[in-house]
Order: sequence, then structure tokens, then C-alpha cells
Amino acid sequence: MRGSMIRHLILKDWRLNRMPISLSIVLGLIALLVAQCGVEAVRLLGSVWFFISLCVLGSMLPGVAIVNERKKQTLAFVMSLPVSSVQYTIAKGLSILAMFLFPWLTLLISALVVIETRDDIPHGVIPMLIILAMLPLIGFCIMSAAALVGESEGWLMVASVLCNSSYWFAWYLLARMPSLAANWGRPVAVWNPAAFMVLSSEVGSIALIMAITFFFQSRKRDFI
Amino acid sequence: MTDLATDLAVELRGVSKKYRYFTLDNIHLKLPRGQIMGLIGANGAGKSTTIRILMGLVHQDSGEARVLGHSMPAEQVAAKWDIGFASEDMRLYDSMTLGWHMSFIQSIYSTWDSAYAHLLLKRFGLRADQKIKGLSHGQRVKAALLLVLARKPKLLVLDEPTTGLDPVARHEILRELTNVMADDSRSILFSSHNTQDVEQISDQITFIDRGRIIDSMDKEAYLDRWRRLRLEVPLGIELPALPGIIGVEQQGRLAVATANAFVPDLAQAYESTGAHVQRVENMTLEEIFIANVEHSREEVEA
Repeated sequence: MRGSMIRHLILKDWRLNRMPISLSIVLGLIALLVAQCGVEAVRLLGSVWFFISLCVLGSMLPGVAIVNERKKQTLAFVMSLPVSSVQYTIAKGLSILAMFLFPWLTLLISALVVIETRDDIPHGVIPMLIILAMLPLIGFCIMSAAALVGESEGWLMVASVLCNSSYWFAWYLLARMPSLAANWGRPVAVWNPAAFMVLSSEVGSIALIMAITFFFQSRKRDFI
Repeated sequence: MTDLATDLAVELRGVSKKYRYFTLDNIHLKLPRGQIMGLIGANGAGKSTTIRILMGLVHQDSGEARVLGHSMPAEQVAAKWDIGFASEDMRLYDSMTLGWHMSFIQSIYSTWDSAYAHLLLKRFGLRADQKIKGLSHGQRVKAALLLVLARKPKLLVLDEPTTGLDPVARHEILRELTNVMADDSRSILFSSHNTQDVEQISDQITFIDRGRIIDSMDKEAYLDRWRRLRLEVPLGIELPALPGIIGVEQQGRLAVATANAFVPDLAQAYESTGAHVQRVENMTLEEIFIANVEHSREEVEA
């Protein structure tokens, strides 16, 4: 035995999916550069592009890394290796989460650096930026869970449509929460109870989605 | 550890699996270590389901499955270190080269034999730097087999490895499987609906049909026990039902009797009724398989 099978499977996924990850980072960084522009309309366009990059990546990765493995019949090759269905799920969950978190964090940190270094952008937007950026992460977890548990492109598409059509509504609702919106224009980031509550709900949702995914995966009797 | 764990590469005891439109019913199967078993069945007979249960990929509803002494699916991880599995519907990663796949498998298995892998590359006419998407079907099958063979598993489980291959590729693969058996501790279980391939290399043969094992024994025993008797039956003579005869087809004065437990006494028994035995013919494995399936279906329907 040479090392953990979970590690081998994670590295395999990373090697196989280098291109979409790199592409999403490049697109996201271009979006951030556009957002640097002084013209308000262009800045807005850059911000929207930034979120769209995260949403597209969140929709694309479960399809490329999970559904394609079944569709292209490479899953049998993976499952012929000394790995159980639960280990496969752990490896797949960790690898795609890392694949998403890498560009997600890169883009988020880049956005925070932009806010930090630009005098004309109030630091009060930081809590809202993080809260809003969590939504594509939750959507990504829902879509990954649908792809893993549903085992089909159909379920992934349903989850993708539901998530992608809900982001704007969720952002609209969050942006209209008085206790959050009131602090946007402040020169410093304000982490009031409302901001903490929303953020902890988001983190809790992710934990719940993961738990449900592992519960269903561990109960599966037919894996291929 | 039971005797199952020591002497048998594979043992299925009363394994059943129910789907909506198909049931694998009470499967019993034994493959001693060091032997090759061919699992023959028509499409949809249950070969792949049986193999998936053996690999722990599908959980049986009831019964016990043990592979190399490991209970499946519970101990599938431990078992799969020593099992090489390839199936007709298994694909490698199109966008990667065969060399990448070789490195991936080598990074996992300490038993990987690089010299043997390169020998197989030559024998199979493959190139390590070629991407999988550029390979023909035959080359893909050989590539998958190379990845399995070069890590020297104790048990090879191959689901329809020769399906869709040209005769040369089939010959190359069967020859390599025969070479594997130079090491008597290794075993092979492979499924096919091509009886010629199975006949060529198997020690043991199992017929499966509609989710049931209908027969399982040594290849030589099959070929010894199954015979076709061509008879001339004079008018007014009625052929008796004899033990060991599973079917008689008569057209006018000519009849063909199929025996699944042939002994020379059978021919004498027909002669004694007044029929004349024109010839006693050996049967090919394909003919035995078809006769066996038809007989089994008649029994089930009756």
C-alpha cells in the first residue's frame, strides 16, 4: 500500500481538473480588475462578473468531476481500486470542495485586498461581501450533493437551476435586511449579531448538506 | 479464518439480488485458487451483476460472498488490493495518456512491475504517450488489461474482456491471460458470451441464465458428458425417455438425442428398442451451452 487511497483520488481529481479551475481563477481575476475601474457602470459589471464566475464554477465542477465519472464510465475504473463507496465519497467531496475553495478563496481574498487598498470603497461592505460570497459556496454544496446522491445529470441540472435562480433572490433579500444594509457605507466593517447570525446559518447549512450527503451515500447498496 | 478463505479464490453461497425486472437467484459458485473459470451467459443473464457483487460494487440482498478470504462487500477494500478488475464497460480517462494511468496505478500498488508493464506495452502494440481518446476499442481494452496485469493481482475478475475485439486482439489477450496462470497461485474469473474464448482457456465453466446458475463443472467434464446421438427410428418404434437424455428432436425417421450424462450404455439402450444409432457426436461448448439453456428454461416453465 502506498499512502492513503483518499489522497490518491484527490490528487487524481486535481490533475484531471486543472483546466477548469485555472480558467475560473483567470476569469474571476479579470472580473476583479474590471471592478477596479473608476466608472460606476463598469465597476458594477466587474462585480457581477465576479459573482457569475463563482456561480459558473459551482455549477460546472460537480458536472465535470462527479457526473462525468459516471457518464464517461470511468467510475468503474476508480471503484476497481481498493476504495469503498464511503471513501470514494469522502475523496470526491474533499477534492471538489478544495477545487471550489481554491478559486473561491483566491477571488474572495483578492476582493478583500481591493477593498482594503482602495480608499473610495467603504470597509462596511466586507461583511456583506462575505455573506453574499457564501451563497455560491452553499449552492455548490447542494449541486455536489445532488450529483453524488442522485448519480445523474438530471438531478444536477435540477439542483443547478434551483440554485442559480435563487442566488439573485437571496442576495436581494439579504441586501434589504436593514441591520445589514445600514452598515454598508461605514468606513469600518461592522460584525453585528445579524451578520453573525446570517453567516453562521450559512455555515450550518453547508454542514447539514454534507451530513445528509454522507448519510445517503453510506446507505447505498448499489454503487455502479 | 474458514476453509473458504484459504482454498478458494471466490465463493458465493446462496447469493440473491432482486431488481425490479431482474432477479439474481440463489447463486452458488466456487473457484479454487490457481484456476480459470469462464462464466458464460447470454446478454442480461446476470454475469455482470454477479461480478459486481464479487467486487463489492453491488450489495447482495442475501447470501454470502467471499473473495480471497474476504467477506464482500464489507471487506472490499482489503480484497481489492489483490483483485484486478476490468470490464467491457469500464473506461479510462480520455484526456490523459496511458503513461499517466500507469503512473497513477504504480503510485498506488507497490506490486506494480514496471518491466512487465513495458513488456506488455510492446506485446499489445501500445504507446505510453498516447492519449486514451486516440485509442481504438481494442487498444483501450488492452490498455485496461495492462493496468490490471502489471500490478500482479492474485485474482483477475474480467467482465466480457474480449467483447467487440477482432480475432487478433482476442488472441493476444487470451494468450496473456494464459501466461498469467504460469503462477499457480493466481486465479481468473471471466465472463463472456463467446464460448470459444471460454473454451480456449478455462479450467472450469459456469453457465448462467436468467439470473440462475444452470450448470458449473470442469471444462473436460462438460465435453466428456455431453453428446449428440443421431438415430434412425423405424416406423412404429417409440423412443423411450432415458436417464441422461435431456431432449430428443425427431423429424420422420431421423432423430437427434442430446445427452448431458453420456455413457456408452445409452447407445445400447436405444439399439435395444429397435432404433439404429448412426453416430455419436461430440458437442462444442457453444452447443452444450445452448442445449443447457434451453433445457433449463423448459424445466423452469414446466
